[in-house]
Amino acid sequence: MAGPLAPERTPDTTVDEESNLDRPWVTIVWNDPVNLMTYVTFVLQELFGYDEPTATTLMLQVHHEGKAIVSSGPRERMEHDTSRLHAYGLWASFQRDS
Amino acid sequence: MKPFRFRHGDVVARLDPAEASVLGLLLDQLELLLEADADDVAGDPVLERLLPAGHRGDPAAAADYRELTEASLRSGKADDLATLRATLPEGGGEVRLDPDQAAAWLRCTNDLRLALGTRLGISDESEPPEDFADEEDQQLAVYYWLTALQGSLVDALVAGRAARK
Repeated sequence: MAGPLAPERTPDTTVDEESNLDRPWVTIVWNDPVNLMTYVTFVLQELFGYDEPTATTLMLQVHHEGKAIVSSGPRERMEHDTSRLHAYGLWASFQRDS
Repeated sequence: MKPFRFRHGDVVARLDPAEASVLGLLLDQLELLLEADADDVAGDPVLERLLPAGHRGDPAAAADYRELTEASLRSGKADDLATLRATLPEGGGEVRLDPDQAAAWLRCTNDLRLALGTRLGISDESEPPEDFADEEDQQLAVYYWLTALQGSLVDALVAGRAARK
């Protein structure tokens, strides 16, 4: 369930048959007690180019609801996004959108 | 410590001698853990937090992901460690970082906090120690010192981002 807060991260993708087929994947950031709220917001802006209000909203969703979908798209891209988040120590995983 | 501030395109902080030495020791410990023989550290909770599973619930997908990404995740951490060593003033003093070096400090101090936080069982309810009665209190104090250092670095980088606009 890609909620209204899951911004489409597809600025450089054309929506063709193929990407539609392997589309239903998401990258999730999970809450953890160590990462600073300011840090999570900063990293989401840095990695995904979100503006500050969008990144803050996602961070607060992680904090209050335990997780947030931070990107959606083909599986390979979600694996890549997860690895970029892992490089910054965010607790992230990818999965098929349910 | 003088916390990080944004100044003329760089971020700048000042560390006391004891702080620089503690940070150096933490870097040593992180490096040992990351370079340890896989068999010796299997199941280590800190390592599991620093190199987390990419997929929850599907072991095959998680294994594929690890195969695909772990080497570069590890080499990124090793590069960051090397950057910190190269920019950490031995005996304390000024730390002046360009944007790439600042990003390395951001990630590496976060890894140190994740490592310490995992060992200490930090939760949302944790608080700084009131005294330094035992070793755990001292480690907790180091954790909160790192939190202040990294927090100031985030704030300085946010200020730098605003200044570029």
